[in-house]
Amino acid sequence: MSTKYIYRPQNKIDYSSYLYLIPAFIFYLVFVFFPLADTFYNSFTEWNGISEKKWVGLEQYAKNIQNKKITSSIKHSFILIIFYSILPIIIGLLIAGLMIRVKVHGMSTYRAILFLPQILSMIVVGIAWRWIYAPKGPLNSGLDFFGLEEVSRAWLGSFDYALPFVGLIGTWVMFGFTMILFIAGVQKIPTELYDAAKVDGAGAISEFFNVTLPNLKGEIVVALVFTVTLALRNFDLIYITTGGGPGTSTMIPSMFIYKKAFQMNQVGSASSLGIMLTLLIFTLVSIILLIFKDKK
Amino acid sequence: MKKIFLIITAMLAFSFASKADNLRILAEAGDEATLTAAIAQFEEANPGVTVEASYLGWDDFMSTIKLKMADNNPPDLAHGNQGFTVDGTLIQNGLVISLEKYADAYGWKNLFADGALAEFMWSDDGTTWGSGNLYGISPVAEDVIVYYNKDKLTSLGLSVPSNFAEFENALQVSKDAGELPIALGGADGWPIIHVWGLVEGAFVDPNQTRSWIFNAKNTDFITDDRMKAAEKLADMASAGYFGSDSLGIGYDDANAMFMNGQGVFNLTGTWMTADFNSGMGDNVGAFAMPRASGGVAGGGSFALPWHISSKSANPALAAKFINHLLSNEFIDDLMGVGRVPAQSPTIDPTSNLQAEVIAASNALVGANAKTFYTDWATPGMYDTVTQELQKVIGGAASAQEFMDAMAAESVN
Repeated sequence: MSTKYIYRPQNKIDYSSYLYLIPAFIFYLVFVFFPLADTFYNSFTEWNGISEKKWVGLEQYAKNIQNKKITSSIKHSFILIIFYSILPIIIGLLIAGLMIRVKVHGMSTYRAILFLPQILSMIVVGIAWRWIYAPKGPLNSGLDFFGLEEVSRAWLGSFDYALPFVGLIGTWVMFGFTMILFIAGVQKIPTELYDAAKVDGAGAISEFFNVTLPNLKGEIVVALVFTVTLALRNFDLIYITTGGGPGTSTMIPSMFIYKKAFQMNQVGSASSLGIMLTLLIFTLVSIILLIFKDKK
Repeated sequence: MKKIFLIITAMLAFSFASKADNLRILAEAGDEATLTAAIAQFEEANPGVTVEASYLGWDDFMSTIKLKMADNNPPDLAHGNQGFTVDGTLIQNGLVISLEKYADAYGWKNLFADGALAEFMWSDDGTTWGSGNLYGISPVAEDVIVYYNKDKLTSLGLSVPSNFAEFENALQVSKDAGELPIALGGADGWPIIHVWGLVEGAFVDPNQTRSWIFNAKNTDFITDDRMKAAEKLADMASAGYFGSDSLGIGYDDANAMFMNGQGVFNLTGTWMTADFNSGMGDNVGAFAMPRASGGVAGGGSFALPWHISSKSANPALAAKFINHLLSNEFIDDLMGVGRVPAQSPTIDPTSNLQAEVIAASNALVGANAKTFYTDWATPGMYDTVTQELQKVIGGAASAQEFMDAMAAESVN
């Protein structure tokens, strides 16, 4: 490689290099920007997907805010954040903390197994867990085996338990991702810090809170942004496991978007809800980034 | 992802388009076997004509059919779905044509009783339903009836009930004997619509229910009779007649349970006849739900209607194919695969169960007692009724709350 370009003066910009961006930019324009702009426009219309679009201004947004079913579905999304985001991060941190202290033979195999849920299709995950949670499924059989017939039930058919149990599937899927992220992060922490902590007489717990945790801040932010986004835009898992039921107990905004657009002929309303969801995700992610902003 | 792939495949299939004597059909996948046979017969009877059929599973079909028909190069002939959500939208936007001309030429209306085709009749602007011009037609009847496990009914000392009180008694006797009275796949939501249709039918005049479905905005949903039906359903749920787990069981699983000997009754549609027959042999019977005051009642309708695209290059050929689907040759094929034709077949039933199912279907037709499906009433009704019925079955809503939510959706 020629070194000429590396030492090129910064004030001279080679515009021809932008040509290389054009294919990706066109792709972005066609598949991201245009649909987003189109959805944004549709959100101000009343449109059944086929007919002429009728401009109604902010009416769709106002209707969404007044719709109690939609506001309660947003509440469900926030509950899911606990399961999709908070729990996987705690579990991922625990496993990463353990893995650096305890040396186990065949560690990479265990890591691969724990990461496995992350690479499975959500459809596969949903179908597998629907079976696990089924009235005569393995979970209930296990409970019955230990004499806990009182506890066993149709988990996904229960108005009280369906939401947290769908959430737990999300926890199972996501913790592999957070774990790998944190283990990678831990490996870049200088060992001197751990040595210093040991010299200062820090035990395992103190070492975790004083060395590991502060040095993983960047990874935690990445995990938070990624998992919170997934919790809010999650669709496939709910669609496969409960369809939003029983009743509306696991209904989430993305299910409404699907139902409005494809079942109820309300593409305008579905678009406005999509935009609202996008804004909500954007706001939450901004808040997370703001809280964890580097003060250096 | 699968959906997108299917859409692209279907689009590609359609883009290899049309010669004048080429007929392109888009159908719901449940009809693939019978249509494949029908197409072969049609091509043989009409030399030079080729028919290309594409199929999509229910969910994919229903979420894309309107867009496909709005395409510049739509199929000539396609399934729709009764109600404002699909058929109404297709007609409102001028995407399908009136079949009146062809119905007169081929005599389709003479095949059925007066008023039987109301579910395919629309005003030309697609805003009023239940009367007007014929926009679709189907050769298949689908009725919601009661299937039962013969051995269990006999060993419980019961016989086929002749009124709703006897049916309720049979449920209680089954429950007391430790049997699951009704196998219900409530997790999917829509199977409860079928149960509700039968309970509603037992108490409410079928004309009243049909008027409400055709014109929900201007017809009262809350009536004394329907309130009774809602209370009855809530009572049946709290009595444990659907078991304690029905909301955690899907439709297919519930039917599998029933075939494996769990559940004395199964309240579902005649489309299950062939499956039950092969799964249970002579151990399964069927009857039309008896009403509280005598007679029979049931949900049900024709199967999905066939529509001709307004952009079809050869609508006459499409109509000729529809006419083939209404011919005895095809009707007898339907019998062969265990379905219930909407017209009288020329061959005998292929099994005891099919004979009983056809008897039940004829009883419903004779009493003019088919009340369609609750979710046809408004585009948002499917969602509302499935959610509210799940609440009733799970004890999370009272009959009154169910009625109020339904009434609110009716005028939405």
